[in-house]
Amino acid sequence: MSIIVDPVQESSFEKPDRSQLWYRRLLANQQFLLLLVTIAIFVFFAFNRHVFASAGEFGNNVTNFCTLVLLGVGETYVIATGGIDLSVGSTVSLSGVVGAIAMEHLAMHSELLVLSVGTVVCIGIGILVGVVNSALIHYARLVPFVATLVTWGAGAGMCLVLTGGAPIGQNSGAIALTVPKIWIFSYPALIIIAITFVAGLFLHLSRFGRFTFAVGSNAFAARAVGINVKRQVTSVYVLSGALAGITGMFVYMRLGSGAPTAGTGQELIAIAAVVIGGARLTGGSARLSGTVIAAWMITIVSSGLIFMNVSPNYNQVAVALLIATAATAQALRKSARQSS
Amino acid sequence: MSNTPEPSNLPTSTSGPSEHDGSGEGSASVLLSLRGISKNFGAVQAIQNVNLDVVDGQVTALIGDNGAGKSVLIKTISGIWAPSSGHIYWKGEEIHVHTPRNATDLGIATVYQDLALCDNLDIVQNMYLGREETKFSMLDEIKMELATNQLLKDLSVSTVKSVRQLVASLSGGQRQAIAVARAVMRDSQLVILDEPTAALGVSQTAQVLQLIRTLSSRGITVLVISHNLNDVFTVADRIAVMHLGTLCSSGPASNYDTASAVELITTGHSSRVPPSLLTSS
Ligand SMILES: Nc1ncnc2c1ncn2[C@@H]1O[C@H](COP(=O)(O)OP(=O)(O)OP(=O)(O)O)[C@@H](O)[C@H]1O
Ligand SMILES: [Mg+2]
Repeated sequence: MSIIVDPVQESSFEKPDRSQLWYRRLLANQQFLLLLVTIAIFVFFAFNRHVFASAGEFGNNVTNFCTLVLLGVGETYVIATGGIDLSVGSTVSLSGVVGAIAMEHLAMHSELLVLSVGTVVCIGIGILVGVVNSALIHYARLVPFVATLVTWGAGAGMCLVLTGGAPIGQNSGAIALTVPKIWIFSYPALIIIAITFVAGLFLHLSRFGRFTFAVGSNAFAARAVGINVKRQVTSVYVLSGALAGITGMFVYMRLGSGAPTAGTGQELIAIAAVVIGGARLTGGSARLSGTVIAAWMITIVSSGLIFMNVSPNYNQVAVALLIATAATAQALRKSARQSS
Repeated sequence: MSNTPEPSNLPTSTSGPSEHDGSGEGSASVLLSLRGISKNFGAVQAIQNVNLDVVDGQVTALIGDNGAGKSVLIKTISGIWAPSSGHIYWKGEEIHVHTPRNATDLGIATVYQDLALCDNLDIVQNMYLGREETKFSMLDEIKMELATNQLLKDLSVSTVKSVRQLVASLSGGQRQAIAVARAVMRDSQLVILDEPTAALGVSQTAQVLQLIRTLSSRGITVLVISHNLNDVFTVADRIAVMHLGTLCSSGPASNYDTASAVELITTGHSSRVPPSLLTSS
């Protein structure tokens, strides 16, 4: 007996309300508003310092953006499950440092081999951190905040132990690779942008992504329909770790060395990007496009302030203001929805 | 709550399912059969030695006081919790449901008391959760949306405005209807409903009862938990009563009336029903 009727058959059921005034729906769309604000910020900087709109400066921004965006992507997945990953900044440093040590040992081999091994090592370290995070969550029963706080501290400490505080290696060949080759993009930047794009499709169009949201929305309900909640949670922390590892490799290439503090503080910027992008910290709702736009916004605000001769010390203040604005806007929109 | 001792005079059959209530059901076959099911949470004995036959194609109402163990029993059937002891038979064969997936794969769909819908997902996403249709390994949203519309129409669930509404924005009755529709969509043979009308007004209750009848008329077996005896006598073909973690009586609904049901719920015993329907001392 099947009561699932041919789905293609025309249904007289009321059509989904897609025709609603398009500009109102656009304005209610947080990603669109974010895009408008980002463009406005860009125009403001470019108007005041014309060089800001040059291809060269665009290229710099793309490179800066690439040190942040994958962390935001991983964090989006994690936050969609209702978790948080504080360890990504440390993972960037740690993977860069361990990768640098491995690459030092291979220095006499061809550059391609060295960099390939470095990349694999970096991703491996990231995955390892992700596995440890999920083990702490599932077996030590720590909440994600505490579990990833542990690995954050442990990772940062290991970096100092391994390096004695000084950067490891000097790889000018790696630096050369981060110079834009195709218009404003370097090859590694193109790879990172491609990964971001795929991760976005994966989050919003695949079953894996749907499960991610379901777990964050109602873990019991997810389990009741047969979703393996533990496996899903493990996967997103491993994904976040792996993306942090890739970022670690990118930062290594940019610096030409593995610096023990390369990723310090990046976890907070990544979380900021996710929050500004419109995700709910309680899980179940996030847009990867929002995270990406927010990451770009944070990037141009940081470099724009330098162009405006504002002390870089104000950078964090600016990011904090962005977070506050975004969170307030979200709260206001929510209460407006509820009262309407 | 004083724990009743393990009843020793219970007719525990060790040889698989049988018509232990001897109600003369004749040709009706048993879809699901529980034998000696117990479940404890640490020291708490939630249910003890439950024997129950769920007859194919019929609506069985499971009734009992608050904390009698009804929800625990159905969660054991649904694979949320493994029983501490006992056997479960599905169409005469012993089964082991370790996970909810095991149960849904068999054709057992459960609508939990707390509904188990994802608030942040829309109706379509909830309907297909865990069973998403894909095309080139991407979610086939259009197919799922059309099928959801059609199914809701078939089940005469007409009050939702759009299937792309978030479940968070639905009323209690609408959520119930979505949860039931989801159970139906999965081609389930047994649909278990835990207090589907508890939070509903009069007309929404009527709608859900109608929905239960619709399921039944489609040949789906229903096990429904309810506190409302009016609802129970309206839809049920069979009745099973739980008292303090044990199943104290079960049989065709015609053998019970409100007074005997109340007596069974509150005391676990009644002299108004045929003794053959009583399974506990
Ligand atoms: N997860 C659990 N851990 C410990 N004890 C539990 C758990 N779930 C249920 N119980 C206990 O098992 C007993 C039966 O609970 P259950 O939820 O099955 O009652 P019920 O018959 O569904 O009641 P109601 O009509 O109020 O829903 C109660 O004493 C309850 O406290
Ligand atoms: Mg209950």
